[in-house]
Amino acid sequence: MNKLTKEEVRHVAHLARIKVTDEEIEKYQIDLGKLLEDVDKINDIEVETDELLVTPVDQEAILRNDQETRSVNFDEIKKNVPAVTGNFVEVPVMIGE
Amino acid sequence: MNNLELSIKEIHSRLVNKEITPLDLVEECYEKIEAGNHLNSFITLNKSEAMEYAKELSSQEVETDNLLWGIPIAIKDNISTKDIRTTCASKMLENYIPIYDATVIEKIKKQKMIIIGKTNMDEFAMGSTSRTSYFGSPKNPVDPTKITGGSSGGSAACVAGGLVPLSLGSDTGGSIRQPASYTGIVGMKPTYGRVSRYGLIAFGSSLDQIGPMTRNVYENALLLNTLVGKDHRDLTSAEKEIEDFTRLIGQEVKGMKIAIPKYFVSDIVSPVIIEKLNHVVELLKANDNTVDYIDMKYLDQAVTLYQIIAMGEASSNLARFDGVKFGYRSESSSTVEEMYENTRGEGFGKEVKRRIMVGSYLLSGDNAKTYYDKALMIRNAMKKEFDKVFKEYDFILGPTTTTVAYRLDENLDDPTKSFMDDVLVIPVNMAGLPGMSIPMGKDQENMPIGLHIIGNRFEEAKMYQLAYDLENKLK
Repeated sequence: MNKLTKEEVRHVAHLARIKVTDEEIEKYQIDLGKLLEDVDKINDIEVETDELLVTPVDQEAILRNDQETRSVNFDEIKKNVPAVTGNFVEVPVMIGE
Repeated sequence: MNNLELSIKEIHSRLVNKEITPLDLVEECYEKIEAGNHLNSFITLNKSEAMEYAKELSSQEVETDNLLWGIPIAIKDNISTKDIRTTCASKMLENYIPIYDATVIEKIKKQKMIIIGKTNMDEFAMGSTSRTSYFGSPKNPVDPTKITGGSSGGSAACVAGGLVPLSLGSDTGGSIRQPASYTGIVGMKPTYGRVSRYGLIAFGSSLDQIGPMTRNVYENALLLNTLVGKDHRDLTSAEKEIEDFTRLIGQEVKGMKIAIPKYFVSDIVSPVIIEKLNHVVELLKANDNTVDYIDMKYLDQAVTLYQIIAMGEASSNLARFDGVKFGYRSESSSTVEEMYENTRGEGFGKEVKRRIMVGSYLLSGDNAKTYYDKALMIRNAMKKEFDKVFKEYDFILGPTTTTVAYRLDENLDDPTKSFMDDVLVIPVNMAGLPGMSIPMGKDQENMPIGLHIIGNRFEEAKMYQLAYDLENKLK
């Protein structure tokens, strides 16, 4: 019994913005199912606290001074951009017809 | 030329006495790397820049008070290096060249160390064998048919294979300590916050930490001296006085209290590994240290916690790889939404995609409460367990891994197995503690076995004291 239906795998892939082909769906169904079975063990664990530990750091957050620091110019950034037009990053259509 | 086999202190004295120059060291590194290329421990070599810098240093005065001056070092390929390609072992970043240095790289450059290249690893540090690398697996120098462990597999292999004397790794759930154990070297994951994560390409931000991987304990402490310090660019980096981590090295370890959780010596661990640990226990007891076997809750649930927290954090950290401003972009997309999905579908490998998808699932809707919040409660309880033990004990010991390194073709394509390789080392990341692996012997087939030393927060110096003492006694 798989933990996720094919539709659910497609939904999760969409949440993650990862294209999954029809051939890959079944494999992911099995693999994600195995991982989620493991993860489900969390429900059997009894725990004595309801406080969450998000980070092991116990110091208070210290804000840095509000000063202007190094900034990079677009010429530098541009070197890694896949598609550039002038001083703009080029992407496909963002709003559909 | 066998300068690289010498200790850092000996190399330094040769440099000071002008018997050798940094250029000799760098040339020797590349000769060894090119001859030992079957190890596949590097993704990118920084050869022409390193040679040029070595030449420049060779014409300068040696800094006599800086043991790391002119020493070659290898860097894990998830640590940003200005003008040196940084791939995270992924097709996604195959052509990515950072425009800035990570804080640790700035510090290394300040010491005038020479960056030899970027080491192989699991893709985005996700894995325990380094086999998820887009650039092929690195191989264990002790036996090239075996895995190096991971994710810092290349950083471990190049040090263990004698190609470079020092390297940097990163550790989210054992990724420094486990490959150090599998290849027979020393690896330290410092206290969370000890080393700035600025420029480390994030995987699980509340767990990640950069640390040194070296041939021996002293050199590990020496390299850690360079890496630490408060950095305003990493809000989680700790406000701590600068200290010398070598300062307790050589002092006798006597009258210390050591705990071994029973889970760390349970039947999940190979008998030959338990045998070596028992020998360590005898050595410690012989010097008036006490060793108690203790019960500790939650240790056996660490993998489940890790899966939830690390995959959750990864799914949000890796959202930045969308093909827009850097990295791989899929060509054939008619809308931006399609471009995201195609780019990520084509640019990430299997393991990474699995983890991002599971992470997205675990954090979506009500699941966030059922899984993520519950995991953080247990994480809290686990940290309290450690705090309790450290009120009474100086160290917690155990084996680093449950087995020795296995074959490169073994356990392939099992989505859950790789997590189990880290079952003994994950709890340390959960609690933000420092943990290190040092060699404690070999099995019948000569494969290295690691001892895992866990210290209290910010007690790395004391850990090096114990590690150095045991390193000598185990020789």
